[in-house]
Amino acid sequence: MNTKTPSAATEALISVRNMSKSFKDFEALRDITLDVNRSEVVCLIGPSGSGKSTLLRCLNFLEAYDTGEVRLEGELIGWQEGTAQPRRRVAAGTLRRQRQHIGMVFQQFNLWPHLTALENVAEALIQVKGLGKKAAQDAAMAALTKVHLSDKAQNHPANLSGGQQQRVAIARAIAMEPRVMLFDEPTSALDPELVGEVLTVMKEMAAEGMTMVVVTHEMGFAAHVADRVAFLDKGRLVTLAPPADIFGREPDDPRVRSFLQTYRERNVV
Amino acid sequence: MDFSFDVIAHNLPYLLAAARWTLLISVAGMAISIVLGVLLCAARLSSNLALASFARFYISFFRGVPLLVQLLMFFYMLPYVGLDLPAIAAAILATGMCSAAYTAEILRGALQAIPKGQAEAAEALGIPSLALWRRILVPQAIRLGLPSLVNELILLVKVSSLASVVGIAELTRVSQNITGETYRPLEIYVAAAGIYFVINFVLSRFGRMAEKRLQIG
Repeated sequence: MNTKTPSAATEALISVRNMSKSFKDFEALRDITLDVNRSEVVCLIGPSGSGKSTLLRCLNFLEAYDTGEVRLEGELIGWQEGTAQPRRRVAAGTLRRQRQHIGMVFQQFNLWPHLTALENVAEALIQVKGLGKKAAQDAAMAALTKVHLSDKAQNHPANLSGGQQQRVAIARAIAMEPRVMLFDEPTSALDPELVGEVLTVMKEMAAEGMTMVVVTHEMGFAAHVADRVAFLDKGRLVTLAPPADIFGREPDDPRVRSFLQTYRERNVV
Repeated sequence: MDFSFDVIAHNLPYLLAAARWTLLISVAGMAISIVLGVLLCAARLSSNLALASFARFYISFFRGVPLLVQLLMFFYMLPYVGLDLPAIAAAILATGMCSAAYTAEILRGALQAIPKGQAEAAEALGIPSLALWRRILVPQAIRLGLPSLVNELILLVKVSSLASVVGIAELTRVSQNITGETYRPLEIYVAAAGIYFVINFVLSRFGRMAEKRLQIG
């Protein structure tokens, strides 16, 4: 866990205000308000279908939220500022610039199979940051070294284990030097013995002060690495508290209690 | 009647000369098929409703009518609308335009086989859509679609024989003619089959080589 010195002058890095999102008739998120501070690790937990992934995907506008606000360092993400209704999306170029600062790691890795590990990491450095090929490869190599995969740089994803693929995906995101990293169930598609290596890399990132929002079913990670844990149920943010308040004692909210019970039965926490 | 290699040897130069027309129709047809196929695929996937329905109509028409009938239509009907095409142009256009319908569908299938997450990963990184297509989607679509595309091109070589009905002296037509003069159908058609096979064998080797080069892992 990292220590923070919250200074009065610094606003939250990400601030979500009264955000709601529906898919047709299904209300996926309702009135979510949440701040993520610099260097903070926030884990989103909850039953499947509770809206954790949707919330995460609204943060970088992969899903367009309907109402409310998502701000990164004060800048509204995805929608144009102002009170005009209906709101209009920002220009494609603006959204690309906003997304550059928000790294994302997916459950299914989503590496590009025709490119090597190094090329996967270098691609956005060339296409988005405009680096030359050599500079991009050097930066990509540095990112791969951070996830302990410099020796696999020339491998294609098909020749990497799931854990290695996910670490390449993490390197691809951190190479862009984002202000915040979003993780969407980063270990859910992995064989149990490969989960550890990915979590280790994530812990190292947290220790270095990376701001992270992590959707996870790894309660151990949430308990030991998160600064705060958000529990979602049926699209609502039920609890937002330090992990000790959620895992350390019997939670007040019956929904949190019954959710954690399923883990306790398996001796996970 | 014994099989005579002399008959083949004697007529081979004529057959090979005719094979040049077969090759011309095939290669020109392939060029049309690929260029038009790419455009049709893009139109079919476009969010522009008019473009998409045009592509859909085009594809269902050219897939739904026998190529032989299309060829005869191009040859006999276009003059009525003031387009008097030479037979060879009609043959190339008909085979190319018909094949383009299949090529478009092959490409569409390949593009849709690429997991959605790959485009999402690019979007999340802020990669512009032109680079997404050029660097990520198209290379993979070619890789995924290549076996079917080679299949389609081989098919195109074979259907070029249909051009015989509009009087083009391509391989099949000339074989028929020589058979009429020599009464040696067995030898002549065996020789013609051999030439078709060689053309397609070379084509499939090229396809295999391309697949190997694009293969990963």
